[in-house]
Amino acid sequence: MRESLPRSVLRVAALVRHDLRLHRADLTPLVTMTVMPLLIMAFVRPLYLSSLSTRYGTPPDGVPFTGAELAVPGVAVIFSFFLAADVGYGVFREHGWRTWDRLRTGPARPFEVLAGRAVVPLLVLLVQLTLLFTVGGLLFGLRVRGSYAAIAAVGVCLALCLVAFGFVLVALCRTVMQLNVFSNVAALLFAGLGGTLAPVEQLPGWVQALAHVTPTYWAMRGFTGAVLDGDGLGGAVLPCLVLLAIAAVLTVAGLNRFRFDDRKVSWS
Amino acid sequence: MTESVHDTPSAIAGSQSCVGRGGGVALDLVGVTKSYGDVHALRGVDLRIPPGRITALLGENGAGKTTLMSLVAGLQRPDAGRIAVTGHDVADAPGAARRALGFAPQELGVYPTLTVRQNLMFCAELAGLRRGAARDRTAETAEPLALTELLDRRAGELSGGQQRRLHVAMALVHRPAVLLLDEATAGVDVRTRTALLDLVRGLAADGVAVCYSTHYLAEVESLDAHVAVLDGGRVIAHDTLSALVDRHARGALELTFHGPVPEDLDLPWPTRPTEDGLRVLADRPHEAAARLLELLGPTSALSGLRVVRPDLEAVFLELTGRRYRDEGSPADA
Repeated sequence: MRESLPRSVLRVAALVRHDLRLHRADLTPLVTMTVMPLLIMAFVRPLYLSSLSTRYGTPPDGVPFTGAELAVPGVAVIFSFFLAADVGYGVFREHGWRTWDRLRTGPARPFEVLAGRAVVPLLVLLVQLTLLFTVGGLLFGLRVRGSYAAIAAVGVCLALCLVAFGFVLVALCRTVMQLNVFSNVAALLFAGLGGTLAPVEQLPGWVQALAHVTPTYWAMRGFTGAVLDGDGLGGAVLPCLVLLAIAAVLTVAGLNRFRFDDRKVSWS
Repeated sequence: MTESVHDTPSAIAGSQSCVGRGGGVALDLVGVTKSYGDVHALRGVDLRIPPGRITALLGENGAGKTTLMSLVAGLQRPDAGRIAVTGHDVADAPGAARRALGFAPQELGVYPTLTVRQNLMFCAELAGLRRGAARDRTAETAEPLALTELLDRRAGELSGGQQRRLHVAMALVHRPAVLLLDEATAGVDVRTRTALLDLVRGLAADGVAVCYSTHYLAEVESLDAHVAVLDGGRVIAHDTLSALVDRHARGALELTFHGPVPEDLDLPWPTRPTEDGLRVLADRPHEAAARLLELLGPTSALSGLRVVRPDLEAVFLELTGRRYRDEGSPADA
């Protein structure tokens, strides 16, 4: 028996509201992953300033660099990766509370459960990126030479990519410890490969070659294009398209591997 | 903390329940078989439950009760056979079957960081109710389970019995036509047990088909349920409680002795050896007990005497040859 779309939308909306309540009941991850990178930005800004001087010499528009041009997007991208596991923790939490079987035997269809579990982590990532660019920018003197809309577009595409990455992690990991370890290792690995710790052109040649397949590289390229090079929305098109393509590949891979009847081992 | 157990469980089922679909059979299992490797959990199980009937699944650990529940709920697929919920095949139309089903598994599954109200609202909204209707339904479901006073408490702060009531309420809030309760009263206090049993009776009176798995024979007798006795993955008997007792239960005395059973024992009733003594078959076991003590005299080697009344336990004994054990039995299915 086929069901009407509105009923399906209602169920996804119910799952989203439910996930919002669960997130609201414990804001620690979002608060920590927003405050901590602001502190880190303060530590690394001098290093990034020196890197910018090496890369550009004098600023093209004559306004001195502050280091925030690389520190804010770089640290934001690293810490957004740390939140990529949020979607996975949501699934493991259901297993730990033994509510996953309740979802499986409830009225929602599998794709509705997954859709309902993706929306809030996406919103959390968007809130985190927005706060980091806004507060970090104000605190450390970030001057955007190009388009704010380009930054927003890249941020949305990066967040989509990270949610898809989170689904791959939860599909692959059997225990929450595995999820924890793999998500942290991946965050640091992609941070290094993608040029968030140091500009890609200053990295070894083999790393530069690998960088082009990482979402961090394309996110940094999009962000720094708008911040440093004065790019408008047009300049963000390629990074956005690549990020969306990576998100699509990760989504297909995650869905292909994900099994609703897999038993996951959680902490509780 | 004060709790009140209300006596109006039928309020939950109400007029909008989806009871009645499925042509007179709410839950229908035909030839259902399930194995785990070499272990045969269910072997060709047939079971039909019409609307308004409570059917108790009775069997020792490993008899196949939980496997049967999991298959009906769609958590696992049978190796063979067919399961239909209100006429919807669980394999072919899982969505429709799930919407007609409420399932409270043996292990508690509640959201501890959310309030009781939020737990119930979620289930109601997931079933497609709008906010206002979900709020009303939450209140209606909470009342007979004595959860009204607890609606704004976090589920994680509740006692085990309160969590168990919430767990069951979450399975009911969408008013299912078929309710599966797996060991619903495991580990709860008397008050919660009474509330749950009252609720089950009320739901059945309102037309809900209840499939109730339990270890406790007294609960089955209290519910006056139909009984399906599972043993070794098969339904070995399925009928009303009174019919099973009439057909299978026979009073008996179970005797144990200091040392082996005396060889010169000559009793006026049929006897059967047991693992640790002798079973004396007697239709009026209390009268037979007095006569037996007279016959044996004060110097006999008798060390124990147990009267087995013609009840559900006697039915189980007669059907399986084993005394009913409510815990710790090895998996025999």
